[in-house]
Amino acid sequence: MLPFSIELKPGLPIAEQVIFAVKKAVVAGQLQPGQPFPSVRIVSQELQINPNTAHKIVASLVAQGVLITTPAVGSVVAERAAGDRAERAGLLGRDLEHLVVEAKKLGLTLEEVQGGLATHWRKLGRK
Amino acid sequence: MNIIETNQLSRRYGRTEALRGLSLAVPTGSVFALLGANGAGKTTAIKVLMNLLPPSAGDARVLGVDSCRLGPAQRAQIGYVSENQKQPLWMTVRQLLDYCRPFYPTWDPALENRLLRQFELPVDRKLGNLSRGMLMKAALLSSLAYRPRLLVLDEPFSGLDPLARDDFVRGVLETSELGDWTVFVSSHDIEEVERLADNIGLLEEGRLRFSETTDALLGRFRRVDVTLTGGAAQLAAPPSGWLEWEQTGGRIRFVDTRYEQAAAERAWRERFPEAAVTAQPMTLREIFVTLARETRNQPKGAAA
Repeated sequence: MLPFSIELKPGLPIAEQVIFAVKKAVVAGQLQPGQPFPSVRIVSQELQINPNTAHKIVASLVAQGVLITTPAVGSVVAERAAGDRAERAGLLGRDLEHLVVEAKKLGLTLEEVQGGLATHWRKLGRK
Repeated sequence: MNIIETNQLSRRYGRTEALRGLSLAVPTGSVFALLGANGAGKTTAIKVLMNLLPPSAGDARVLGVDSCRLGPAQRAQIGYVSENQKQPLWMTVRQLLDYCRPFYPTWDPALENRLLRQFELPVDRKLGNLSRGMLMKAALLSSLAYRPRLLVLDEPFSGLDPLARDDFVRGVLETSELGDWTVFVSSHDIEEVERLADNIGLLEEGRLRFSETTDALLGRFRRVDVTLTGGAAQLAAPPSGWLEWEQTGGRIRFVDTRYEQAAAERAWRERFPEAAVTAQPMTLREIFVTLARETRNQPKGAAA
């Protein structure tokens, strides 16, 4: 089993989806700093994806500082992998864009969308 | 470098032309899916590549060697599993492996054992008494254990239940090596291979409709939805790369087959000056349905 949650959706680039899921798992604490990250082969087998894609995913996570590779051990989650506030906010970019597109299709105003957001935010009971 | 290359490859059976001038290149290190309806020529192409059939015209190179000269040295580096392969049904699984092992200098006993366990194959049962899924797994095992550089799979998933399919794919991925590891797989069903393939070729009536990377294919197709804010309008006929053009009142839908953001947005502004336009990526399945529908509606020989 992979140590992070993911459900691949068809039609979107697989690598982007997995990288996004890993970053979310780090922010959510599902992946802890220092925790081993599965090998390219395991990622490819578990998700049944192309091994070159799995390699690209791990390489990109290393390049972005989310993972660090140590010889003989493989990859582990980096200490400061969770990123700063701006990076975390960036993780929502795609969802926000989608929301705005849908709202515009419905002809809603920004105020109406913000109002709806605030209502849902309060429903979940956190500040 | 291309591990497989064909040049104007043709093959006829009597009056039937199964392959008509197929020119195809499979890059080393790729997972290449050859897609096409039943009867499109996939199996014929693979049989010619494996030197099981001579071509009627044209030629093919596999591992750098003319396919007609493929010999033991090349076969020891190629794994070939086909849905309609003849198997020695009187042999047990163990006898099959004992029989195959000496042919391959690179046979890896540890991998053999790992796959045997993973596939849960009954080693003392005769191949003739195995289920279809088990038989395909046994065939795959005997083709993976020597870690071939090139794995050729002809419709490997047809008739497999989901669990057997899962085992099969895991087994294939077990031998993956970055760089010098290539899979050439044929299928009539895009969904079977869409996550695995990084290159896709589509065969139609013995001809190659296109061959490109999965990323390029996903990148150039968009489902476009237009809402005319100025109300319904009389519009000129769509350009040739726009398929499935439909208009109902103020709403227009079509598929852009040559999408490229900046150029597409310019074309839309020109054509629909007052409109809200959205372009959604499509799944490979949706792309193939669109292409198949277009083929059905068009005179022979036209292409997207």
